[in-house]
Amino acid sequence: MLEQAAHPAPPPLSLTVGRAHALRFGRINLEVRQSIPAWRQALILAGAVITGMAISAALLIAAGVKPRALLDEFVVETLTDSENLHSILFQAAPLIFVGVGAAVAFRVRFWNLGIEGQMIWGGIAATFVAFYEIGPPVARLPLMMLSAVLGGMAWIMVPTWLRLRLRVNEIITTLLLNYVALNFLLHLVYGPWLDPKDAFPHSPQFHSYERLPEIGWGLSSALVMALVFTALAAWLVQSTRFGFYTRFVHDNPRMALAVGVPIKAVMLISVLLSGGLSALAGFVIATAQEGRLTQSFFEGYGFSGILIAFLARNNPIAAMIVAVLVAVLFVSGRSLQVFCQIPFAMVQLIQAIIVICVAASEFLMRHRLHWVR
Amino acid sequence: MLQFIVNWLAGTPSFAAPYALAALGLIIGERAGVLSLGAEGFMLVGALAGVAADLELGGYPAISLAVAMLAAAVVSLLFALLVVVLRVNQVIAGLAIVFFCQGLTSLVGTLAGWTNRAIGGLHEVAIWPLSDIPIVGRILFTQNLVVYLTVPIFFAVNNILSRSMLGLRLRSVGENPEAADAVGVSVPAYRLGAVVAGSALIGLAGGYLSVVDVKIWIPDMTGGRGWIAIALVIFARWQPWRALFGALLFGCIEALIPRIAAAGIQLPQYFLLMTPYLATIAVMIWAGLSKFGRSNEPAALGQPHVREERR
Amino acid sequence: MVAALKLVGVRKSFDGFLALDDADFAANTGEVHALLGENGAGKSSLMNVAAGLYTAEAGRLFVDGEEVVLSGPRDAMACRIGMVHQEFKLVKPFTVAENVLLANWRGRFAPGVREVERQITTQAAELGFAIDPRSRVDELSIAERQRVEIIKVLLAGARILILDEPTAVLTDEEAVRLLTTVRTLAARGAAVVLVTHKLGEVTAFTDRVTVMRNGRAVAVLDSRSTTANELTQLAVGTTVAQPRRASSPPGAPVMTVKGLRAARADGHVTVTDATFHVRAGEIYGIAGVGGNGQTELVEALTGVRAPLAGSVELDGTGDTTGSPAEALRDLGVASIPADRFGYGLAGGLSVADNFCVGQMHKGCYGTWLRTDSAAMRKATGRAVGEFDVQGVRNLRQKAALLSGGNAQKLIIAREFSRDPKVIIAHSPSRGLDVRACAAVQERLLSARAGGAAIVLISDDLDEVLNLSDRIGVMTRGRIAAEFAAPADRQAVGRVMVHHA
Repeated sequence: MLEQAAHPAPPPLSLTVGRAHALRFGRINLEVRQSIPAWRQALILAGAVITGMAISAALLIAAGVKPRALLDEFVVETLTDSENLHSILFQAAPLIFVGVGAAVAFRVRFWNLGIEGQMIWGGIAATFVAFYEIGPPVARLPLMMLSAVLGGMAWIMVPTWLRLRLRVNEIITTLLLNYVALNFLLHLVYGPWLDPKDAFPHSPQFHSYERLPEIGWGLSSALVMALVFTALAAWLVQSTRFGFYTRFVHDNPRMALAVGVPIKAVMLISVLLSGGLSALAGFVIATAQEGRLTQSFFEGYGFSGILIAFLARNNPIAAMIVAVLVAVLFVSGRSLQVFCQIPFAMVQLIQAIIVICVAASEFLMRHRLHWVR
Repeated sequence: MLQFIVNWLAGTPSFAAPYALAALGLIIGERAGVLSLGAEGFMLVGALAGVAADLELGGYPAISLAVAMLAAAVVSLLFALLVVVLRVNQVIAGLAIVFFCQGLTSLVGTLAGWTNRAIGGLHEVAIWPLSDIPIVGRILFTQNLVVYLTVPIFFAVNNILSRSMLGLRLRSVGENPEAADAVGVSVPAYRLGAVVAGSALIGLAGGYLSVVDVKIWIPDMTGGRGWIAIALVIFARWQPWRALFGALLFGCIEALIPRIAAAGIQLPQYFLLMTPYLATIAVMIWAGLSKFGRSNEPAALGQPHVREERR
Repeated sequence: MVAALKLVGVRKSFDGFLALDDADFAANTGEVHALLGENGAGKSSLMNVAAGLYTAEAGRLFVDGEEVVLSGPRDAMACRIGMVHQEFKLVKPFTVAENVLLANWRGRFAPGVREVERQITTQAAELGFAIDPRSRVDELSIAERQRVEIIKVLLAGARILILDEPTAVLTDEEAVRLLTTVRTLAARGAAVVLVTHKLGEVTAFTDRVTVMRNGRAVAVLDSRSTTANELTQLAVGTTVAQPRRASSPPGAPVMTVKGLRAARADGHVTVTDATFHVRAGEIYGIAGVGGNGQTELVEALTGVRAPLAGSVELDGTGDTTGSPAEALRDLGVASIPADRFGYGLAGGLSVADNFCVGQMHKGCYGTWLRTDSAAMRKATGRAVGEFDVQGVRNLRQKAALLSGGNAQKLIIAREFSRDPKVIIAHSPSRGLDVRACAAVQERLLSARAGGAAIVLISDDLDEVLNLSDRIGVMTRGRIAAEFAAPADRQAVGRVMVHHA
């Protein structure tokens, strides 16, 4: 019975041994680590980011940028030029909002990829209040802000409800809703909200009381808003019972359910917060930077938010810091565009390279390689 | 009215082809257990490569499409290495690859001067005498070569998946990689192969879009079709023929949009453009409501495999 | 005589934990050789090395006297080594024939399937049972799936057969049938290694036994001339006293389950009509091999998934059918899940977090606005000491670093510190070594003495028989029969087999 198998005769055993000797370098064995000290994690992370930047630098040089110009742009100008510094801080505010917003959602394993759509609705809702002149001028700006937050929250409720009730994966729904929001925005700025003064696809300019004021030293109040909300998010996540529960939802949702953590409520609140923060990013750009509703103010922020949250490991304070670094990237990218004719798409590419390097480096954190024989 | 319908249905296969090919490519990868969220990126790479080849290599559509497939396969190798060898979380890797490809294609397209340059494209081939049949002849037998090729490609892939040893092993890797590993099937090799092969098809879908359909390269021209294809695969319950049906459905919807404008019906333009995305969400809701929606999902989809994990 | 399979000086560690420490093993052709040891002794790891799934750091492997180096499972198959694992390596949506074909490729698909179907039928007939090669694996019972695994390995030409804890998932009668089959295989010229922790099987069905402890082989004995006591002594090192169950009269019924009907996530109904009740101060044991609805029953009782029909009543509260987990926990229901790290702990979070999450909503550790870490640390520290959770160097370390036994103790600490009224314990001793087992059982008995009502669901018949005051046998989703302690093992076994 055992010899019956019509299976081809196995190779003589001596061949197997011979093969082993021929394999002089032995085998690499993969093992899953149980834990890794925090300092080593930080080291690997830093190494990955530096590798990513090095690859990006190489790409930029290959695209025709002189190394000298590169160093100038990214390092020297950033640290010394005061006007550049202002641009960076200005750019940082909306980035902080999307970064913290993404982090808050990712903390409960909700892939909010609809950041750009929520930004759009934040801008639309705020512009709605301005366009129809709702409320007295004194209260206009706070009303715009409230409206923006509600708009973002309403927009993110659709995929959230689909996920909680029908278990529909939110990755695709949030992403596709971005396109829907974009088309609605285009409909508005090319149609009913087209500026009659110059017939360009943007809304009429906001009045001065509909714009976020500056607070001295050339800094915008948008930055202060961003810092306040970051502090709020950090407090929520570190010190409150809500934050405690989110840690369980992130680490082991099945266990959280069995142990009585109010998962749906925690997820809902986190996601709504995320939508609101993203909408505020849109609000901030419309009122502080552009001064009106434009057709492409949100571009690049979606992935930036994801990048920031990912690098910051979903920690709000770290996200704030990473957001500033991404702002450096944005500002430098713009001047590269102006001075060296490198398209702004380069910024997106650099961001993707850094994420890939960091994601790849997690391999070293989670696994150990053994050299056998 | 009849003319309207005939024109509409005649346009459908051409719009459906990229969805069908991309969905098929995704199915190959997902049946092996790899969730390929990078589809949108691979389509873009295929689209750019197709136009680039057309502009630089003399304008032969066959060669351009082949280059598109090759380029997408090469880029997918990066994704496959991340996900199969380095066991990176498949969602993060997929998203990163999409943005990588978006940035790369925009950059390279602009720097190399391939953006916004019209090319020849591929003409329709009428299968005479079948194409002379009224109504049906116009719809089914007057399409371009890639549309015709789609059907045999579907046959081939379906056969390989369900009636060959290669397909058996590939499916085993997607359902239970431990079982496959224990009988000596190389899980990394099959996953890598599946991703690369599938991405070649996705690249073909992208190349079709730029070389045959629109006949030009514009940054981000795929407009979310990669994501729609991913949703299609779920709707199709990972089966090739259902995916083809779904693709035809979407082709129908997309083909309707220019027809409405051409017929002079006044509907807000941007709302019409929203329809494919809303339709996709509707399809996902339907799949979520339907009780059998998830039962065919490859059991190990999205999970990395390490042989010596101590339990 | 040259040993069919010989392992010498094998060393293997997992991220610092030494699983195999210079282990030796040898099995001869024509014998059934038991590999005995308690959970964690290294038996499965050693055999995984022999089957090519693990790579040892040191040590050598000989097949029929010739040294071989295995770089993977395929090399092991080439050396005619076949292993049937505890968790079956079968692809569930495939048919039996396709699964076997996967392991034994024969050229093209369609003719291969036909030939494999023929061979399966022949092989099964020779071994004395019938298997339909066209049936899908997920439609087969666990015992049938195990037979498929054995056939799969035999058709691949295995001469050295390794079975890892095969009877853990079988009823007594099915186990006897399997072990008889195994003897037949050995008689026909195979070398069979039976990895087990059940002494009864060793003495009754095997020829020789190798005892392992802490990653080493401590003795090789002739099975027929040894005794259960000697084997226990060798396997455990010392004798561990079996917790004694003091007899005490039970109180009033605390939880009553009537006609419960529950399904898995995919809609497949596994609990058809469960009816039983538990009284205060008693342990109600539910016996039965896995796969008869136990998991879904636990999910329904602990509020993880709402049942489809039927009712669960708690004394003093009334109907609690379908209440979510949070509500049930507030009413005094505690749960010890079977999958410790899957459902019991959040591995990536600290020991303190895992302990405090149970009571967090009561406000013991701070308000909504500010959690009180100092209070958390104090309470956790006290609990860790009281429940003897070892391996906790500091309370902030991740829970995933705890060993199985200590993880279980932490879970028990969390659940029991609330003085629960009802405890649902699902396979609480699975995978634990003897000492940890005894500790867990002590806890259950002391909870019982304190007046709690305990539902003990376990596929380990010995555990159920030792601890329970009343026993219900669960087959095909129903409680088929009830027994009072002391129950007749044969009678219980008969009910388990009789799939009415």
